[in-house]
Amino acid sequence: MGVSALRTEHLSKRYGRLLALDDLTLDVAAGEVFGFLGPNGAGKSTTIRLLLGLARPTSGRAWIFDTDAADVAAAHNRLAYVPADVALWPQMTGAEVLDLLARIGPGTDTAYRDELIQRFALDVSKPAGTYSTGNRQKVALIAAFATRAPLLVLDEPTSGLDPLMELQFRQAVGVARDNGQTVFLSSHQLAEVEAVCDRVGILRAGELVEVASVAQLRRLQNTEVAATFTGTPPDLAGIHGVHDLHADGAATVRFTLSGSPAAALRALADADVATIVVREQSLEEIFLAYYGQNAR
Amino acid sequence: MIATTAAAAGPERVLRGLAVRQVRRGALVVTAVCAGMSALVVVGYHREALDPAALAALARNPAIRTLFGEPVALDQAGGFTVWRTGTVLAVLLGVWAMLAATRITRGEEGAGRWGLLLSGRITLAEAVRQHLGVLAVVPVLVGAATAAAMIAAGVDATGSLLHGTGLAAVGLFFVAVGGVTAQLFASRSAANGAAAAVLVVGLLTRMVGDGVPALAWLRWLSPFGLLALTRPFDSNRGLSVSVLAFAAVLLLALAGRLAARRDVGAAILATAGSRPARTALLGSVPAFAVRRTVRPLAAWSAGIGAYFLLLGLIARSMAEFLTGNPEFATMAAQAGFPALDTVEGYAATLFALLAVPVGVFVAVRLAAVAADENARRLTLLLAAPVTRVRLLAAEAAVAGCAALVLITEAGVAMWAGTAIVHAGLGAGEALAGAWNVVPVVLLCLGAAVLALGWAPRAVAAIGALPAAGGFLWQVLADSVDAPSWIRALSPFAHLAAVPATAPAWVAASVMAGIAAAGVVAGIIGYRRRDLCA
Repeated sequence: MGVSALRTEHLSKRYGRLLALDDLTLDVAAGEVFGFLGPNGAGKSTTIRLLLGLARPTSGRAWIFDTDAADVAAAHNRLAYVPADVALWPQMTGAEVLDLLARIGPGTDTAYRDELIQRFALDVSKPAGTYSTGNRQKVALIAAFATRAPLLVLDEPTSGLDPLMELQFRQAVGVARDNGQTVFLSSHQLAEVEAVCDRVGILRAGELVEVASVAQLRRLQNTEVAATFTGTPPDLAGIHGVHDLHADGAATVRFTLSGSPAAALRALADADVATIVVREQSLEEIFLAYYGQNAR
Repeated sequence: MIATTAAAAGPERVLRGLAVRQVRRGALVVTAVCAGMSALVVVGYHREALDPAALAALARNPAIRTLFGEPVALDQAGGFTVWRTGTVLAVLLGVWAMLAATRITRGEEGAGRWGLLLSGRITLAEAVRQHLGVLAVVPVLVGAATAAAMIAAGVDATGSLLHGTGLAAVGLFFVAVGGVTAQLFASRSAANGAAAAVLVVGLLTRMVGDGVPALAWLRWLSPFGLLALTRPFDSNRGLSVSVLAFAAVLLLALAGRLAARRDVGAAILATAGSRPARTALLGSVPAFAVRRTVRPLAAWSAGIGAYFLLLGLIARSMAEFLTGNPEFATMAAQAGFPALDTVEGYAATLFALLAVPVGVFVAVRLAAVAADENARRLTLLLAAPVTRVRLLAAEAAVAGCAALVLITEAGVAMWAGTAIVHAGLGAGEALAGAWNVVPVVLLCLGAAVLALGWAPRAVAAIGALPAAGGFLWQVLADSVDAPSWIRALSPFAHLAAVPATAPAWVAASVMAGIAAAGVVAGIIGYRRRDLCA
C-alpha cells in the first residue's frame, strides 16, 4: 500500500468504565473511499473525535498523512470534516457560515462551492436558525467538498438528506474520488456505503471486527441459491458448503452456499434443473449477520 | 403497566417536576444569599444617635437618593438593612429570575429538547405556563425566607414581611419579563438582552426618580422604584407592591398568551427571512470572536455608560453634602463607601463598583464560548486548522479588550458627568480611577478561563465569582465588622482608592499574577480535556 491518508495504531478510548474504542489499528490509503460501519454506540463517532483531536486517546496514536492527529494546525490543513449533528450560529446566514469556514479552513475552491450550492439547492441567504437538520448538513457538506482537502472525514453525512440530495452526495463523493481525495465515510446507511465505498471497516462494541473490500466481504459471506427442478430434486444434504437446506414445495429447494460452490454445482448438474436463482447477500444482510445474534 | 402509571401522574405534574429539577440549585443559592445577607446586616447594625435634622437633610439630598435610594428609617436595624441590601438583593434576584426564566423556556426549546416534550399531550403554551409557574414560586420562597430571617434576627415583623413581599414581587416581575421576552425572541441571548435592558432601564429610572424631585413619579414605572415606595419599617405602604405584583401577574398571563400564538421554535418577533451576507469580521478566529462580541459590548456599554454618567452628574452634590454632614460620612464608611466627601474619594469608591458589571461581562463572554462548545457550534471551527489554544486565546483576548473598552467608557462617562456639574474631576483622574479595577476584571478573566479548562459547565458562575462574589463578601464583611483577614478574602479589599490615593501596585500585580496563573492552568486543562464537540 502506498501513502496512508489516515492511520491509527492501538487507538483506545475509555470513558470512565466504558471502553468506547478498543485497540483500533486501521490504515486508509490515500485515494480510497473507506466506509466505516457500525450500529449506534459502536464507537464510530468516538474514533472520528480522536482522529480530529477533539478528544484525547486513552492510549494509542493516530496520524493524518503522517502528521500526528494531535497536531491539529498541521493535520487539519489536509482534511475537511462533516459532523453527524451540524450546529451553526443561528443568526448567521448559510453564506456567512460558508465564508467563515472557507477563510479559516484549508483553502476552498469557490467556483466549485457555488456549483455545490446550486446542486444541493441550498438557500444560503437565510439565517441558519431557520434551517432544517438536512439544510444544516448541506452547509457542512458544501463547505467540506469545496475545500479539495486531500482527506474528507464524513460522519453520517446524509442522515438528514432526502433521496434526491443523497444522489447529489454520491456524485460529490465520486468527484472527490476522481480528484484523488480520500473519503472516510462513517455511516449506517448500507446502500450508500455499498454504492460509494471501495473498502469497509466494521466496528462492533468498540472493536474493529472486519476490514475488507465490499466484494471480498460478499465472498466471505454466503450466497443464497433457489433452484426448481422438472423432476425430483436431488438430495443435497451433507454436500460440502450447503447450509440451511429446505424444500419449498415438491420441486423447489433453497439453500445457502459458503466456500467453494463446486460440490453443490456437481450435485445440481446431475438433476434436471428448470430454473436457478443465485443471489449475493446485500451489505445489509452481511451487516445483520455480524450484529444479528449479539448486537452490541 | 408502567406506561399507565406514568400517564396517571398527569403531564402537568411531570412538567413541573422537570422545571423543579432545572431551578432548584440556583433557587437554593439565591434564597440563602438573600436571607443570610439580610439577617447578617440586621445583626451587625450599630445604633448611632442621629439627630432628626441631619436625617431630614440626608433624606432630601438628591445624590444620596440617586445612589442608595431614599433613606428611610435608618435609625432602626430593619430600615438600615433594607436601605443597605434592598437594591443589591432585588437586582440579584431579578437577574437570576430573568436568566432562569429564559433558560428553562427558550433555552430548552432552542436546544431542541422541547420537540420531544411537545410531541406528547402538552401544548407549548401549557409547557411555558407550567415552567414559569414553578419558577414563580422561587421569589415567593426568597421573600418568605428573607422576612423570616429578619424577624428571627430581631426586627419588626410588619416591616420584614413587607420587605420580603417587595423582594418577592420584584423576583416575580422578572420571571414574567424573562417569560415574555422568551416568547418575543427566537434566541435565548436576544431574550436575555431584552430582559436585561428592562432591568437596567428600571434601575436607572429608579435612580432618576429618587434623585430629581420633579420626576419622583418615575418611580411608579420601575420595579425597583415600586419596591422602594413600600417604605418598610417607616410608613409600610402596600399599594406599590400590589401594583408590582399585579404587573407581574399580567405579564405572566401575557407570556402564556404569546406562547399560544406562536409555533414551537419560532418567535412572536419573526427574524427576517433572507438577507444579504455580511462578511465583515469572518476572516480569522480572532476576527470572528470580535464579531460575536460587538453586539453584547454595545448593549453593556449603553447600560454602564448611562450609569456612570449619572454618577458623575451627582458627584458634586454628594461630596458637598457629606462634607457638611460628617456623621453620614462615617455611616457611609460603615456601609462600604468610605471617603465620599471629596469628589476624588467619591469617584474612587464608585469606580470600585465598576468591577462588578465588567467582571460579569467577561465571565458571560467566556461562558458563551462554553455554550458554543456544548451546543457543538465550535466543532466546525475546531475541525479547521485552528488549535484549541488559539481559539481560547482569541476569545479571552477579545473579552479582555472589550472589558477595557467598557472600563474606559465608564471613566469617560464619569468624567463627562462631573464636567457638566463642574465637580472638578480631571479626565486623567477619572480614567485612572476606572482603570484601577482592571486587576479585579483580570481575576474574573483568569477564573473564567480556568473554569473553561476544568469545569466548563460553571464558567459564568466561577468567572463572576471574584467580582460579584467578592463584592457581596466585602459588603457583608463591612456590615458585620468582620476581622480583617475575612475582609482580605475579597479582591475589593486590595483596591486602592484611586484617584484619591495612588494605585496599590503591589496588590494589583499580585492579582494580575493570580489571574495569569488561572489563565495558564485553564489553558492546560482546555488542551488536555475532551471537547464536547
